[in-house]
Amino acid sequence: MLPDRATGLAIEVGAVSKRFGPTVALEQIDLSVPPGQFVSVVGPSGCGKTTLLRLIAGLTATDSGTITVGRGGPRAAQRARQLGFVPQSPGLLPWRTVRANARLLTDVGRRHSGLSPAAVDELLEQVGLADFRHAYPHELSGGMQQRVALVRAFALDAPVLLMDEPFAALDEITRAEMRYLLVRLCEERDATVVFVTHSIAEAVMLADRVIVMTGRPGRIEADMAIPLSRPRHPEQEETSEFFALLTALRRSLRVGAQR
Amino acid sequence: MRTAGRWLAPMIGLVVFFGLWEVLVRAFDVRTFVLLRPSTILAELAGQPGFYWRNTMVTAREALLGYLVALAVALLWGALMARSRFLEQASTPVAVLIQVTPIVAYAPSAVLWLGRGLRPIVFITGLICLVPLLFGVTTGLRSADLAALDLMAVVDAPGREVLRRIRLPYALPYLFSATRTCVGLALIGAVLAEWYALVDQGLGRRIQEAIDFNQSRQLWASIYAVALLGGLAIVVLNVVERRVLHWHPSARTLG
Repeated sequence: MLPDRATGLAIEVGAVSKRFGPTVALEQIDLSVPPGQFVSVVGPSGCGKTTLLRLIAGLTATDSGTITVGRGGPRAAQRARQLGFVPQSPGLLPWRTVRANARLLTDVGRRHSGLSPAAVDELLEQVGLADFRHAYPHELSGGMQQRVALVRAFALDAPVLLMDEPFAALDEITRAEMRYLLVRLCEERDATVVFVTHSIAEAVMLADRVIVMTGRPGRIEADMAIPLSRPRHPEQEETSEFFALLTALRRSLRVGAQR
Repeated sequence: MRTAGRWLAPMIGLVVFFGLWEVLVRAFDVRTFVLLRPSTILAELAGQPGFYWRNTMVTAREALLGYLVALAVALLWGALMARSRFLEQASTPVAVLIQVTPIVAYAPSAVLWLGRGLRPIVFITGLICLVPLLFGVTTGLRSADLAALDLMAVVDAPGREVLRRIRLPYALPYLFSATRTCVGLALIGAVLAEWYALVDQGLGRRIQEAIDFNQSRQLWASIYAVALLGGLAIVVLNVVERRVLHWHPSARTLG
C-alpha cells in the first residue's frame, strides 16, 4: 500500500456555520470522520447537506468554525490534489471523448497527478466503458455519463472522495447498479468518502456511518453506525438488519422534520 | 440522398429567386437604369473578371481585418466583463450606444481622425463588428458548465487553464453565432468606409463611382460581387463551425 496517497485522510468539521443572506444553511455543525471511513449524509432537500460537502471541498467559504482535511484546510487539500469530487450533474465536457474526460483532472497544471493513463483505461474497463472510450458524452446514457464522472474522480487516486448526490438524476434500476459499482470501487481503496444523498437505502448500503441532517437551520439530527458486513452485496438489502436500520433512520428524519 | 437533399432545397430557392427576377424584369420591360436582369449582371461580371476580382479582394481584406481587430478587442474586453459584474454594468451602456448610433453619421469624422486609406476603414468595420462580438464573448465565457468549473476548482486549476479547457470552448458556439452576424456587418462597414476614406480600390468605391456616372452595369455587378463574397463567407463559416463544434447540439440537428 502506498503510504501517503491511497490511505484516507481524516476530516474534521468544528462548529461550522454558514448563511446565505437571511437563510441559515448550517448552524454549528460538528463532524469528525476518521481516515478511510465511508460516511453518507442524508436529509431532505434544502437541509444544507450539499453546502456541507462544498465547504469540505473548499468550493464555498465558511462563515465561522474550522474545517481540516488531513493536516491543512480544504484549500491546502485542493493544492495537494487530495480531493476527488463527483458533482450532482456529471459535468462532462461535450467536446472531449470518454477517455479524455476521465483524464481531465489528472493532467491539469504542470505536473501529472493520480493514476497513469493506462490505469485510467483499466478503471474505464472496470466500470464497463471499455468499448466507449472514444465515444462523446452525448452518445452515452445518463448512467454511463455518471460512470465516467466516477472514473474521473477515482483517476486522481485521492485520499478523500466527496460525492454530491451523484445518482440523483438516474432511474431506480440504474441507480441500484451504480450503488454496487461504487461499493466495489470504494472497498478496493482506503479513501475517506463523504457521500451526500437523499435516498436512505442508498446511504445505508454504501456507508460505514450515516449522518442524518434536518433543515432550516441545517443541523445534524442523528449519527448512526452501519454494522452491515463488508464486502457489501445486494442480498443484504433483504435482511432484517437492513430494514431495522432504514426504520431507525426514517424515524430520526421524521423527528427532525417535526421540530 | 442526405447530402443531395441538403444542397437541393437551397439551390431551388436561389434558382426561383433569380428566375423570378429575370422573368419580371423582362415581362415589365423595366428600364436599365432602374433594375437590370440577373443575366445582364452576370455577363458584366464575366466580361471583366480581373477587374471585379481585384476590387472584391480589396473589400474582403478590409472586412476581414476589421473583424479580426474587433475580435481581439472583444476577447480582451469581454473577458474582463465576464469577470466583473461592475465592469459589465459600466460597459453595457457604452456598448449599446456604439451599437445603436448609425455609423454613417460619424464615418466622415473617423476619416478626419485617422486620415485617408486603410486605417479609417478598419476602424469603421471593426467598430460595427465590436458590439455583437463583445456580448458573444461575455455571454459565452459565462455559459460554462458549473459542475466542470467546480471540478477545476477542486484540483486548484490555474485560471488560464480554466479559460483554455472550459470557458473558451463553451464560448465558441456564441462566437460563431456572433461571427455570422459580423459577416454582413463587416461588409456594410467596409463598403461604406470606402466611400469616405478616399481610396481608389474596393467594391464600395466602384459602387459610388457607378452611382456618380450612372453606370448601372457596374453598380449591379459590384452589388453581386459583395453579395457573393458575403455568401461565400457564410458557407465557409458553416463548414468550419460544423468541424469545430461537432460536439454541439446545433451541429447534430442538421446532421
